[in-house]
Amino acid sequence: MKVEEAPNPLAEGLHDYRVADPAVMVIFGATGDLSGRKLLPALYNLARQRSLPAGFAVVGAAMDDVTDEAFRKHASEKIHEFSRTQPIDSRVLDAFLSAVFYVKVEFSRQQDFRVLVQKLQELDNARHIPGNRIFYCATPPPTYQLIAQQLQAAGLHTGSGFHRIVVEKPFGSDLASARELTQTLQKVFPEDSVYRIDHYLGKETVQNVLAFRFANSIFEPVWNANLIDSVQITVAEDIGIEQRGAYYERAGALRDIVQNHGLQLVTLTAMEPPLAFEANAVRDEKVKVLRSIRPLEGDEIERSTVRAQYTKGWVVGEQVPGYREEHDVAPDSHTETFAALRLYIDNWRWAGVPFYIRAGKRLPKRVTEIRVQFKRPPHLTFGREAMQEVDPNAITLRIQPEEGISLKFGAKVPSAGLRIRSVTMDFQYMTSFLVDAPEAYERLLLDCMIGDPTLFTRADEVEAAWRLIDPIEESWRNDMPPLGSYPAGAWGSSEAAALLQADGREWHRP
Amino acid sequence: MSTTLKSEPELVWRGDDVKMNDVLEALSKVRYEFARAEAGDSEHAHPRNCVMTLVAIAAGETEERRAHRTCRLIGTQHPAQAIVIREDAGQRGKRVDAWITTDVHRPAMACAIECEVVTLHVPGAVADHVDAIVDPLLVSGVPTYLWWMGTPPFGRHELMRALRVCDALVFDSARFEEPYHAFQGLARLTTVAHRRLGLADLQWSRLRAWRESIAQFFTPADRRAFLHGISEVGIDYAGRGRGNRIATAFILGWMASALGWKLQRAVAGVGGVVVAHYVGGGRIIEVQLRSVPKDHLASGEVAAVRIGGTWQGSTFRLSVLRDPDRPPGGDEAIYRTRHPSGGDDEAGVELAERRAEWHRDVLHENLDSLHHTATGDQPGESRPKHPVVFTRERRSRDTTQVFLTMIEIGDTAPLRHVQQIEPADEAALLLDLLATGTHDAVFNRSLLSAFELMRTL
Repeated sequence: MKVEEAPNPLAEGLHDYRVADPAVMVIFGATGDLSGRKLLPALYNLARQRSLPAGFAVVGAAMDDVTDEAFRKHASEKIHEFSRTQPIDSRVLDAFLSAVFYVKVEFSRQQDFRVLVQKLQELDNARHIPGNRIFYCATPPPTYQLIAQQLQAAGLHTGSGFHRIVVEKPFGSDLASARELTQTLQKVFPEDSVYRIDHYLGKETVQNVLAFRFANSIFEPVWNANLIDSVQITVAEDIGIEQRGAYYERAGALRDIVQNHGLQLVTLTAMEPPLAFEANAVRDEKVKVLRSIRPLEGDEIERSTVRAQYTKGWVVGEQVPGYREEHDVAPDSHTETFAALRLYIDNWRWAGVPFYIRAGKRLPKRVTEIRVQFKRPPHLTFGREAMQEVDPNAITLRIQPEEGISLKFGAKVPSAGLRIRSVTMDFQYMTSFLVDAPEAYERLLLDCMIGDPTLFTRADEVEAAWRLIDPIEESWRNDMPPLGSYPAGAWGSSEAAALLQADGREWHRP
Repeated sequence: MSTTLKSEPELVWRGDDVKMNDVLEALSKVRYEFARAEAGDSEHAHPRNCVMTLVAIAAGETEERRAHRTCRLIGTQHPAQAIVIREDAGQRGKRVDAWITTDVHRPAMACAIECEVVTLHVPGAVADHVDAIVDPLLVSGVPTYLWWMGTPPFGRHELMRALRVCDALVFDSARFEEPYHAFQGLARLTTVAHRRLGLADLQWSRLRAWRESIAQFFTPADRRAFLHGISEVGIDYAGRGRGNRIATAFILGWMASALGWKLQRAVAGVGGVVVAHYVGGGRIIEVQLRSVPKDHLASGEVAAVRIGGTWQGSTFRLSVLRDPDRPPGGDEAIYRTRHPSGGDDEAGVELAERRAEWHRDVLHENLDSLHHTATGDQPGESRPKHPVVFTRERRSRDTTQVFLTMIEIGDTAPLRHVQQIEPADEAALLLDLLATGTHDAVFNRSLLSAFELMRTL
């Protein structure tokens, strides 16, 4: 093994020691909302945790004509406003800001990229950075292609050190556009240098699904079709579309939530144990799940999917308007704000087990959970009467809020007779680890700097997900099944309830 | 989640001259009543949540107060049961007085949890049998940490008995009463303690920030090879005498054991100076330990680490300075010679002085011509002015802890990197141990290597 490839012996035994090599992070769209709300505060918090290496620098790149000082002032204001940790440590902030710079870049101007090249070379020399670059596109997806091409033209995609590009979801709006995006990026950067960020995967509790399954030996033997009756995945939001009417009109619940968050949760629940918690091992197993999901086609789409739109109603004690009355929404809009699907995974482990997914806006509360419902005992030892108040066993993995895990099982009611009642055994993060989890962006930015893409979405994963969603979208455009409705504050439409009733089941109330 | 504590915990039970069974019975009753009160009318009681038992051995009132405070702070982050045992040295007989206090924490989105602290005042004869006292109180299935707040009685039976019921011994080598001898006892304990026993030194945990800062420098792939080119290590520490060199010995032991250096010789001189030679990879590594006056540091604390060397013709130097903007000790006002372009802290001064030295050389070489250019006087007609500016610095104190890392590679200008170190009180350090575990092979090997150096001096 070469010297530089050997592990650093001085880092041995340093728990949670995750420090990247010195690099420059160029944030395109640095003066925009994502940069101000998420990226700059996350970088500040990484500095606070001493996770940024000496020499690390940030270069803001955007169309605004501002100086380094003005951009630092802007960054400081955003960090003060949006940082997870408060109060702001002025010494850490000053040290962080001293490594923040700004270059005015209009994405269409090659000359601007040449100025950027010059700035990066200066920083390399002054800060002992061996050419390492991270280009973060905090810009709308249509700009990704232009940015990648300009980076290539300026020679910023190659040279000594690593060169990574980070793009935000959505990764296309269908299979064709996702492929186009992939091809565009891969013309400039190899796939292992493309980091598709979906901040959802950076959440501690999402990662804990894997820890729960693969760090414990007692669950894996029962995690299959022999004992599991069904799986329900709920991604519910109580809010409406807020100011995103124009975007949501094009996306809808299926593209906005189910295609990414919903299917991510399916893959984490259903995947086989990876060889290691290592990028390709984990992502290979996730892709296998997506490829094993039985595609919905033809009439099956009508039978196994539900779409609906909220009408006016009451949510969390407040009266709210219907979707068609929202800002930037067409009065005759056919965009779904609620989607429910029944999927089957055709592999040995999950054959015959339905995975029900529902996601929507203006549902009664904000909750994301995975509920694994077990089969009833094969024989009622205690008789039907004693067991009448007993539900089948269930494990609920709550992603948000009240992150935790609960196991439902039957226990004898203390009394003279023999009656069994369901009780829950709860694990709550908040009562075992009474500490704030890091923000998802902190985790993901550091992963990107270190070069660990485990929690980033790979191209084939994106495409496999769109391959499942595209036929459904197409059928829905043809009004099959018809668009239902639900009053804001309900758990979706009556058709969603009927979807499970037809199978002799019902939705769990989170 | 709020981590603030009420000023005083709630005293829920007290018993004088009690048996341990009385304490157990009281503890069960406290827990039952809390569960019943929290359950409400129709809910099931939430199960107790407990991640460890912490047994603190306090030698007096001050340590007892520290133990209480720390146990309560730990409870704000992890539900735990704590037992504080204070030996009343003057007390004869077998009288045990006991208290149970509780803190209830109510996270915003989770059920309430109760953390109990059981305090026992025991006479010396009973204190010699800690295992018999705490065993019935231990929570099943979770680790037990024995935190000896002063100097553990290394080599004595009462310690070995106590360790039988514990998963880890926690101590702070910075608080050892006779540091040198206690350190020897600690090193011997590693060879005789039972295999599953973990050893956790709070001082070692405090050195983590140093280890991280040093490791960070060598982490980039293009600097990994520098590890094979280290030729000198300098460590500054506060205080004098061999007892104050434990932390420095730990850092050195850590580096030596990680990099395969073997100690050749070590000599201690006057003024806390130690010079040692290690051999690694066929090279001699010269080490200098130096006592420096630093008023704000406790004796034994590390003030600076400097590592230098050469690899394939390129020189490198890493300097990590703690609290560089604080003045060194001494009552006299501080005057420094600074180059005008210097920084505003100790490291800046160091850099400025280096630059000034270089400028002096340049100026000296060109003294006459420069003077002629500046004044119009013929060379030799008048004396040039001194090129260095004297400034007076008087810096204010503060309590924050800052690491300044300076990196110099080749001929490029030094790179400065400032890091803020979170204050690490005993509760924070213990919580860190809880997260990382106490079976730390790096600590064990660093301890042995450090002991080898200490023994030589």
